Amino acid sequence: MANQEYMDKMQLRQNYRNLWHADLTSTISADFLCEGESKKRDFTKLELKPDHVNRPLWACADGRIFLETFSPLYKQAYDFLIAIAEPVCRPEFMHEYNLTPHSLYAAVSVGLETETIINVLNKLSKTKLPKEMIDFIHASTANYGKVKLVLKKNRYFIESPFPGVLKTLLKDSIIAKARIILEVSSSFFGFSFTLVCRTLWCFIVWECQAGDAFSISKTSGELDTHDGLLDGAELAAVAEEKETHSFEIDPTQVENVKQRCLPNALNYPMLEEYDFRNDTVNPDLNVELKPQAQPRPYQEKSLSKMFGNGRARSGIIVLPCGAGKSLVGVSAACRIKKSCLCLATNAVSVDQWAFQFKLWSTIRDDQICRFTSDNKEKFRGNAGVVVTTYNMVAFGGKRSEESEKIIEEIRNREWGLLLMDEVHVVPAHMFRKVISITKSHCKLGLTATLVREDERITDLNFLIGPKLYEANWLDLVKGGFIANVQCAEVWCPMTKEFFAEYLKKENSKKKQALYVMNPNKFRACEFLVRFHEQQRGDKIIVFADNLFALTAYAMKLRKPMIYGATSHQERTRILQAFKHSPDVNTIFLSKVGDNSIDIPEANVIIQISSHAGSRRQEAQRLGRILRAKVVVVYKGRLHDRMAGGKEEYNAFFYSLVSTDTQEMYYSTKRQQFLIDQGYSFKVITSLPPPDSGSELSYYHLNEQLDLLNKVLNAGDDAVGLEQLEEDADDVALQKARRSVGSMSAMSGASGMVYMEYNTGNSKKISQVQTKNKTKDPSKRHFLFKKRFG
Amino acid sequence: MPQVRIVARNFMDMVAALPSAKLDKLYESSFICEALLRSLPPLAKKYTLQMLFIESPVTAKSMEEWVLPDGFSKHRVAIDRLLQLRIFLELSDRKKETIYLINPKFQSSMQKYLLHGGTLPRESMPLGATVRLLTLEDLEAYAQKQWECFLLQLINSAQAERLTNFSPSMIKVFQRGLLSSRENEVPRLTENGFQFLLMDTNAQLWYIIREYITTSEDRGVDSSDLISFLLELSFHSLAEAYNLNTLDDVQINVIKDLADLGLVKLQQGRKESWFIPTKLASNLAVSLSDSSSHKQGFVVVETNFRIYAYSSSKLHSEILRLFSRIEYLLPNLIVGAITKESLYTAFENGITAEQIISFLQQNAHARVAERIPTVPENVTDQIRLWETDRNRVEMIPSHLYEDFPSKDVFEAACEFAREVGGLLWEDAVKMQLIVRGELHQQMRDFLRRLK
Repeated sequence: MANQEYMDKMQLRQNYRNLWHADLTSTISADFLCEGESKKRDFTKLELKPDHVNRPLWACADGRIFLETFSPLYKQAYDFLIAIAEPVCRPEFMHEYNLTPHSLYAAVSVGLETETIINVLNKLSKTKLPKEMIDFIHASTANYGKVKLVLKKNRYFIESPFPGVLKTLLKDSIIAKARIILEVSSSFFGFSFTLVCRTLWCFIVWECQAGDAFSISKTSGELDTHDGLLDGAELAAVAEEKETHSFEIDPTQVENVKQRCLPNALNYPMLEEYDFRNDTVNPDLNVELKPQAQPRPYQEKSLSKMFGNGRARSGIIVLPCGAGKSLVGVSAACRIKKSCLCLATNAVSVDQWAFQFKLWSTIRDDQICRFTSDNKEKFRGNAGVVVTTYNMVAFGGKRSEESEKIIEEIRNREWGLLLMDEVHVVPAHMFRKVISITKSHCKLGLTATLVREDERITDLNFLIGPKLYEANWLDLVKGGFIANVQCAEVWCPMTKEFFAEYLKKENSKKKQALYVMNPNKFRACEFLVRFHEQQRGDKIIVFADNLFALTAYAMKLRKPMIYGATSHQERTRILQAFKHSPDVNTIFLSKVGDNSIDIPEANVIIQISSHAGSRRQEAQRLGRILRAKVVVVYKGRLHDRMAGGKEEYNAFFYSLVSTDTQEMYYSTKRQQFLIDQGYSFKVITSLPPPDSGSELSYYHLNEQLDLLNKVLNAGDDAVGLEQLEEDADDVALQKARRSVGSMSAMSGASGMVYMEYNTGNSKKISQVQTKNKTKDPSKRHFLFKKRFG
Repeated sequence: MPQVRIVARNFMDMVAALPSAKLDKLYESSFICEALLRSLPPLAKKYTLQMLFIESPVTAKSMEEWVLPDGFSKHRVAIDRLLQLRIFLELSDRKKETIYLINPKFQSSMQKYLLHGGTLPRESMPLGATVRLLTLEDLEAYAQKQWECFLLQLINSAQAERLTNFSPSMIKVFQRGLLSSRENEVPRLTENGFQFLLMDTNAQLWYIIREYITTSEDRGVDSSDLISFLLELSFHSLAEAYNLNTLDDVQINVIKDLADLGLVKLQQGRKESWFIPTKLASNLAVSLSDSSSHKQGFVVVETNFRIYAYSSSKLHSEILRLFSRIEYLLPNLIVGAITKESLYTAFENGITAEQIISFLQQNAHARVAERIPTVPENVTDQIRLWETDRNRVEMIPSHLYEDFPSKDVFEAACEFAREVGGLLWEDAVKMQLIVRGELHQQMRDFLRRLK
């Protein structure tokens, strides 16, 4: 590629960078589109280092990074990359990451400095770092993380180790006006001058923070043998005395100052840190983690990133469902030891969170309260924990007198920690509202899937903070922390009659009902339910977004079902039965079951209809069975369901799709997130097996035709999707398809019964971990046996 | 070796297929005799050596007594092979009993060779020559480069670039199967050509040489001369230079053709020219079965359909491009993805799912080679499913008949079409029917008769 051409492109890219929202990859793809799509990215000119075999990664000029997972330096490189880059896909052998302005912002905010990023990246890279990448890192981090907003003893300070930057800020009239000048000022610039003992951050340090000092000495020993690839100076946590300059600003002006610092103005976005140890104004909440609450290594690691320098940073922690997000949240609250406001998506999870707090910490019952439409409690004492929903806080309409009082209290209180669950589902405007209503020193967002079809995820960076940590799903599976799931896509050919109707124009509104009610799909579902109930003694959840199908399937198979309109009592009854009764092994759930309904017993999911191409829904549903399974007794035999147990897989996820319909297209799209996390979908083409199936429903043509008639005669309303609370993600999806909405099914998931279950038997897990997982092919589920040759 | 439609037979099979006169002529060269002897199954080797100094024939019966009863099948194979190659001649004596006689030409050449040793009819480079020779590694690298260059040109020929460096005779060889050779058209890779690219080097080499020999008569070159020269070539010492002046014109042309492929390297001295055989040449006579080269694998396939190939070779990236989308090229890594579109292109070019899978499996990187399966099951399944998906639609050339004068005629026509097994579709209301194209004449005749 000609040099001039590249220079021009870099110039173009530089311009892009000034826009906060433009990330490098999209810039690149813009470039490449101009030159014709066939143009590949050719970086063969990069110079290989002579000892490249020992180094774990390649870095491309467009920000893409490839990491070998079999490298001896993988663990260190992974920790480093996850801090500075966005993971694209993480299968078994090779990971891909993207360097973006957001990811670099996150890196800077956890304390990595520009030079450290470049040096470490260069050390790990097989090739010389492309100049473009170095420039990009410089350009992206030049302004990030230089300024911090610190709330100390209830006074707001703007801190920076760079006096020049503060000077620039003070030139701005709004900031200058907001500044409170101390009477005794001794320093040259008029800043108050403090010496803070700071730690120079290097990626190894986090391990140290995670509390195993042993591993650090070991790691550095290992590294030294690699021809001094990373020299000691960078490995060791170097404690360094660093000067910090700061000035105080008027608390009433904080929002304005923050505004002025955003990229569209002065472009020095401020990091928010909470020096909770020195906060003497807000009363302490005296809670500790119970001794049996032992955070797992990855939970420790995520916490250590949050509390890296003795202060609390705001940000998001991404852990797969079932990996123990709540323990992270509770631990964070226990470290800060101040009042905590915990926000969940619905009433069920409010109950779950309250339970989690009581389970893991020494919090007293009078220190914690729930605030929902049914429960309006208040905590006693100066400090406490309030658990509520986003809706309760953001609600704009008229409230009852009682809740108005509680809201007033929430509004007036200074919260030490704002804990936000499932941040990926909450629309951005809701966040804005919540954040403007509540005053908090530190915000922690928790989620499993940072994907949305409307790409609103980037907003979270500004509203909450950067992503602090993201766990690797495969590593957790290998460690036995989450279940090892076999995913399968079951192809169900449309029957001739159904397909003929599907193709007719006048049935365009019934397309979904037709492919969901496909008799072959029904038979496959019935077969799987029977197989798992009878042969393995599994507990099965069947998901259907389409209410018509949900009802039809559940009625025909005579299984209980729960959807939006199911009453609270009935839900409780059904879930209790599913949990305890040996006769209820299958339940049918509508969309209400997607999020935060905790049914640890279930280990099989059958998805018969789904929400278009939502990657998030797929991942969330999978999350229902990810919790590491325990040993169950079935038919007198011990079944080791523990993750990493004897069986190769201990949970099953089936997605039934009707071939040659829209579903095939959606299905590919939906799976993308999980595939990027290293999951693979096995395609099963013949279910039920050809030699069986006569005992299943819809075996005869006339039965199938009856069913077809039922579908065709149902009203367009009845065969549509179930509509729950509005979600921007849905809107984005609906754009791409004809929406078949049904108002009749409108309902919330409020009042869902809470069911928590303790599976965290850490002793067992550590045992399993050390055991090498043996893959015994004879133990393999027969459906997944090799079909070819 | 991948299961391919191109049958790559053994060099010796080719020799055995020669007419007897030509075979006898071949046996005048002691090198051919040695090469053949080496290629024989062990028992046949033993028989040949045993018979080498026996002038009189041996009866089949007495020969059968040489082996134990359970070795009889091996005995049969050995004898068949020897007869096929005309090393043994089958005669019958006065008592009408079968007797075997060793081919006298073969015998005398072999005897001479054993007693006096063999000398190549080529003059090797004198010691102290001023020409500097390549080291063995450099020569191997050179051979590999030439071969890859040849394959690359084959691939690129599909992209409207002419095969410039090759002699017309070689291009003719390629056109036998690998490239389409329609007149006034840019040569394009054929189905076989695409399959050829996925074969391993030995199989490819053999394919080319076989075609080269079978087309030799068209060029006015005697095929037995060519075979003997090629076999002789494999007896030359690796990396040693031989003078070109001992070759006749035909042989010089052959050497030039082979140089294009990297089998020999030509070296220009001050006065004389030399040729240096490379490893590719010495592999020629080695039978294919035992030369399955254990190359270092380089491909990692992930469950998300991404391919990471540890290679800097342009050829590898071109081969991967045959069935995947190449996304990144790094100094020693090629990153690509198998997509539905990329596979459909491959299928369109005549590459089969099995070939792609076996290519991926055979070239699996050492890291993943221990994993079972080496290529994730969901990927191989999907590749096969996509292939079978393509086969779901079957095209049948056919004719539509309509505007029937009456219901009776229509029904009679349907009946007839059904009888001859060509009725594909009928619509009694619109009175239309579709019948297989090859039956059109019969249908026409039938309808005419109805009138």
